[in-house]
Amino acid sequence: MKATKIKKGVSGVSFDIIKYGLLTLLAIVCFLPFLVMVSGSFSDNATVVLTGYGVLPKNFSTTAYKFIFRNPSAIIQAYKMTIYYTVVGTLVGLLTTVLTAYVISRSTFKYRNVVSFLIYFTTIFGGGMIPWYLMYTNILPLKGTTFIIWFPAILSSFNIILMRTFIKGSVPDAIIESAKIDGAGEFTILSRIVWPVLTPGLATVGLFLALGYWNDWYRSSLFSTKTDTYELQFYLYNLVSAAEALKNLVSSGTSLSVTIDVPSQTVKMAMAVVVTGPILLVYPFVQRYFVSGITIGAVKG
Amino acid sequence: MATVKPKSKVAAVLEQPKAGRALGMWISAALSLVCAVITLPFLSWIKLVRISELLQSLRIDIADIRLFSSYSYFMYLWDFVTASKAGILGFPAFILIVLAVAAFIMNLIFISIVLINKVGKRGHLQFYLYGKVAAILSMLAGLYCVWYCFGWANAKTYPGSFAPTVIVYILIVLALVFYIVQKILEAEERKIYHEHGLLVEIKRNWVLFIFLIPCFVYFMINNYLPMSGIYFAFVRFNFKDGLFFSPFVKMDNFRFLIKADLWGLTYKTILYNVVFIGLGNVLQIFFAILVSQCGVKWFKKTSQTLIFMPHFVSFVIVKIFVFALLEYQTGMITNMVLNATGNRPDFYNKASYWPFIIVLVNIWKGVGYGMVVYLATIMGISDEYYEAAKIDGANIYQQIQYITLPLLKPTFVILLIYAIGGIMRGQFELFYQLVGSNAVLYPTTDILDTYIYRITVSQPTSMAYGTAAGLYQSVFGLAIVLITNAIIKKADESLALF
Repeated sequence: MKATKIKKGVSGVSFDIIKYGLLTLLAIVCFLPFLVMVSGSFSDNATVVLTGYGVLPKNFSTTAYKFIFRNPSAIIQAYKMTIYYTVVGTLVGLLTTVLTAYVISRSTFKYRNVVSFLIYFTTIFGGGMIPWYLMYTNILPLKGTTFIIWFPAILSSFNIILMRTFIKGSVPDAIIESAKIDGAGEFTILSRIVWPVLTPGLATVGLFLALGYWNDWYRSSLFSTKTDTYELQFYLYNLVSAAEALKNLVSSGTSLSVTIDVPSQTVKMAMAVVVTGPILLVYPFVQRYFVSGITIGAVKG
Repeated sequence: MATVKPKSKVAAVLEQPKAGRALGMWISAALSLVCAVITLPFLSWIKLVRISELLQSLRIDIADIRLFSSYSYFMYLWDFVTASKAGILGFPAFILIVLAVAAFIMNLIFISIVLINKVGKRGHLQFYLYGKVAAILSMLAGLYCVWYCFGWANAKTYPGSFAPTVIVYILIVLALVFYIVQKILEAEERKIYHEHGLLVEIKRNWVLFIFLIPCFVYFMINNYLPMSGIYFAFVRFNFKDGLFFSPFVKMDNFRFLIKADLWGLTYKTILYNVVFIGLGNVLQIFFAILVSQCGVKWFKKTSQTLIFMPHFVSFVIVKIFVFALLEYQTGMITNMVLNATGNRPDFYNKASYWPFIIVLVNIWKGVGYGMVVYLATIMGISDEYYEAAKIDGANIYQQIQYITLPLLKPTFVILLIYAIGGIMRGQFELFYQLVGSNAVLYPTTDILDTYIYRITVSQPTSMAYGTAAGLYQSVFGLAIVLITNAIIKKADESLALF
């Protein structure tokens, strides 16, 4: 993405106006909700209830954050669990993805196409959600464990194909063959030759996985039985959809004489900020890995 | 020849390069044909021996059931098991059908391959894979039928009341011969092409097989084993028998779903997806072209970063965003409309707004991702095309129309095939988070996925309905993928998926 494809001068000024104008508009539309979220979290609850959310904070106040952090044990627990799921899931996922992708990238492996097809086939046909759910809850009695939150997402057809493309692109077959001739085993080749040059691929697939884990709420909604194993997003979901959750937050506070009005609107936004914060903080730095991953995935189909 | 080694006559004939192998192929095809005929769902496979004792043990009256002395594997489940209401007999009988049908299909494939006889780089070697699979499946179907009668059905009901017919034994023997012929042919041809089989491959690359174990375990648990659960689509669930052994009820669950507006849900699911794919791709291409035309570097980077941002938040956050914009009291847009017109729009109580809201939100979330995909393709287009076009006097619009758009076509088609594969699967997270349990909005926003989720979560006994809907979704979706792929293959072979 160095230079533009078409040098200026050919196009008229009208095209310039159109493109900069439309892109600015789209960028604003895409960014606006984030702004409303942050502004909302720093607004005064009563004003918001009266006049609605705005692009800028209404009657600047940090009550919402104070309210959240007065009794933060639940949210810290959800944070801890999500970090745990994300770290374990991403590490296990990366390892298994690399192992699988390495095998099907080897042109001397006779069954690579059969394996690839069997992996691909899972994306076009499946038993549906309920047999899948029963597999994890009835056949394997895993409901309520933490294992079940991260396990179902460690591998995906897309990530495996992506990783295979990365491996093929960074390690030519000839190098692997010559290493074999020199007496290196498969494990040595993978750990000493392939793994060290695979950093971009690992970063990309790792970030795809990590984002998936961070943003997941669905598996908690199906499999979690105790609130202290909830994923962060599911915790937030519960908080938002159930008004009771807020009341509970109050009653579990220090004293029963809490009579202050719960700043429910702004707390919602503040919670959203707390949950999304880490992503938005690292996003500018990791964006290029996502772009490269999507690009490679798109080129190879 | 005589001096080398004493060989069996069959092997000696088959070793002859052309005539022998061709003969072997025709023998295999003939055997395969017989196996295919036997695995048709018409011949009798299971016979009932002690009918009166059997009926007594199942506690059914002879007047309640239309009895035959023997059943084909299909009619056995469809007719006898259904009428007997003995759920315990159902699931294994269903597996028998799956095996037999798989054997039938593989035999058909093998026969057609032999008839077409398109010899590739490695001779007939790829034929044998299909032949062996067909033979093994036929054999398995036969053996499984024997086990089913003696090992399962007799043990669960009155002993000695079920027996496989002689046809099943014939099938097993023929399939075995079929397999052996294939093996001999393959062994001969492998020598010619210096190929090896699975055992040699495992011996040579056993480390790679070990590497595949996690992948195997994962896809087995997560994808392949649950596929057998499609059986639940045909049972009436009760807690006493559990899901596996609830009574088989044929297509009752589908009839229930059709009454519960299956077509309407399908229509909505597909229509939403068509709009998502169509409008989404058009906008993604449009903005990718705009970004690629930007000369100012910081603007390009910043706008791309901002446009890509919605991709990174979860749908729970999206729900909160939409709430903050559209909620009756506090929504920003609600209040803006109020200030402009004096009326407060009640978005969360009016279903007709929601198709637009959902489409907008989906595009908002996906435009950045799609833009990156198309931008990558645009960046890969050689400058020379544009230079040449400029010399010929093409303006910017003509360059886009005649160079950029045609070269984006392959990417578009690939994305399209992928998207069409999921056309029966709605964007569950999007719909579930935006609509939730707000029943007022269901008329325009309920799709198959949300419906399945809702009926199953709210009522465990409707798991069978949910499975039926899921099966319908999967089968329909698979059919659409196959048809689309076939059409695209006809138009342009290089773009097809498989």
